[in-house]
Amino acid sequence: MSPVLSELTFTQAEDTPHSSSFAKRFRSRSGISLKPAYYQLILSELPDVGFFEIHAENYLSKGGPARHYLQLIRQHYPITVHGVGLSIGGEHPINNQHLDRVAQLVDETQPEVFSEHLAWSSHDNTFLNDLLPVAYDEATLRRVCEHIDQIQSRVKRQILIENPSTYFEFNRSEMSEIAFITEMSKRTGCGLLLDVNNVEVSCFNHGHDAYQYLNNFPVAAVGQIHLAGHTTDDNSTVPLKIDSHDEPVSPDVWSLYQYTLALTGDCPTLIERDGNLPPMAALIEEANMANRIRESIQPLEIPREHVI
Amino acid sequence: MNTSFKTALLTEDTRFYNEIKAPNMQEQEVRLNVYRNNVVVSLVDALCDIFPITETLVGEEFFRAMARIYLLDNPPSSPIISEYGVGFSDFVRNFDPAKSIPFLADVAALEQTMLTLTHSEEYDTLDHEAVSSAFVSVEDPGKLQLNIPPTTQILASPFAIGSLYQAHFSDGHQRLNKVDIHKSEYLLLVKSHLYAQLHIIQKEEAIFIKHLMQKKSLEDAVPDSGLFDLGETLAKLIEWNILTHIE
Repeated sequence: MSPVLSELTFTQAEDTPHSSSFAKRFRSRSGISLKPAYYQLILSELPDVGFFEIHAENYLSKGGPARHYLQLIRQHYPITVHGVGLSIGGEHPINNQHLDRVAQLVDETQPEVFSEHLAWSSHDNTFLNDLLPVAYDEATLRRVCEHIDQIQSRVKRQILIENPSTYFEFNRSEMSEIAFITEMSKRTGCGLLLDVNNVEVSCFNHGHDAYQYLNNFPVAAVGQIHLAGHTTDDNSTVPLKIDSHDEPVSPDVWSLYQYTLALTGDCPTLIERDGNLPPMAALIEEANMANRIRESIQPLEIPREHVI
Repeated sequence: MNTSFKTALLTEDTRFYNEIKAPNMQEQEVRLNVYRNNVVVSLVDALCDIFPITETLVGEEFFRAMARIYLLDNPPSSPIISEYGVGFSDFVRNFDPAKSIPFLADVAALEQTMLTLTHSEEYDTLDHEAVSSAFVSVEDPGKLQLNIPPTTQILASPFAIGSLYQAHFSDGHQRLNKVDIHKSEYLLLVKSHLYAQLHIIQKEEAIFIKHLMQKKSLEDAVPDSGLFDLGETLAKLIEWNILTHIE
């Protein structure tokens, strides 16, 4: 753990009557992505969903419908905040103005979890709107850890960092993705968001064994799991799996999920969907599928709340 | 390294390829192309979301091709995508293949303004009762100052782009090609509750509202014109829910 963090006390949601029941609900029932098309239905039907996850960058305006509905939905459900724009893997310092806006949202929303990605998206004042890969070398590791330290200090809580879906590996990488992630978590004290679909996608694209990847993953630091759908690019040069978030969770990812839970113990799980949105009931059914798999998992000796 | 990565994403430049682990250049390109495609398609999609009427006017294929050219030279600077596309209307104005539609850039500018307004802060507004009680509680209502949100804008457009905008959002009751576009219009763009609203107003109403925005008292805000009906205009301001306070 870095010196900066050892001086910090990470605070979770304030201790209100809501917060303890929300924390329990978040830990025990799976959640789904919050999308504008679902706002009205959520408020009128209050469906049985463990939590809703938002993309931070869609909720940073001063006004408008997104922020308004988030405040209403927040009164009924635990929320998790998933950042997609801090560019933690970037070569330049974190954009402080953007970090301030995200930190304010986190402070106002008091989410169960705030997570970001092991990726970059901004460079020289350009935002590329994609999660781009980083090389796994010591220089990048040091930079990523500095950025995570800075973010954790600013939001005054532990963040979870998500393993990426990638389409190429770097010639200059000196270590495996697992070694990089393990060291990153050790140095910064950050938790990990294990995206099982990303494991399937990346391992397929790089000819690695997804089960072996999971065996080596530092599961003790995992605070949340993501499940999503992917598509296949059957080009004749090199077939690739694409992390598209616009399909139901695939059978191979469900199998991997079951295997993952055996390693992590029961763990808060999100059905992540961004495109080709189905009726909300279809996502809830996937969340219930995750719940059924989780019910068959024996709790680990260390309860999950001590990890996050 | 990210400078050359970024360049490779936005151009055909191949210098970054040697960073990519693959047995040959063809495979390097296929792998990189996933990211190129993600960047371009997600940003073209974002521009389609921000400029739906502009897209309808030129057709999807034309719009996507135009958006692609724009974004490669003008990628976003902010991670907040709803803030993207500020310079798009200027680009459209200078985009030769679109010059046959002289009002296209104005429509794009209007869409951008409306989106920005929707994302701006909200103001509490007065209902009919609150307005009435403000008027009866003073001896001379002419001295009252009526306030509307400071984010309000008034546009004078040489084309009927307000009618076009309303036709687009009228659930198909009106068709865009039924709008007589060669007609000038005064437009009131104002935040009411969560969304930006567009109202087509008379010239005299535009002058009156401009005066209110300049903090003139009610009697000084009334334009010197026989065509202006104060009662009717006040009724509209109340109905549109845009009076924030009266002092």
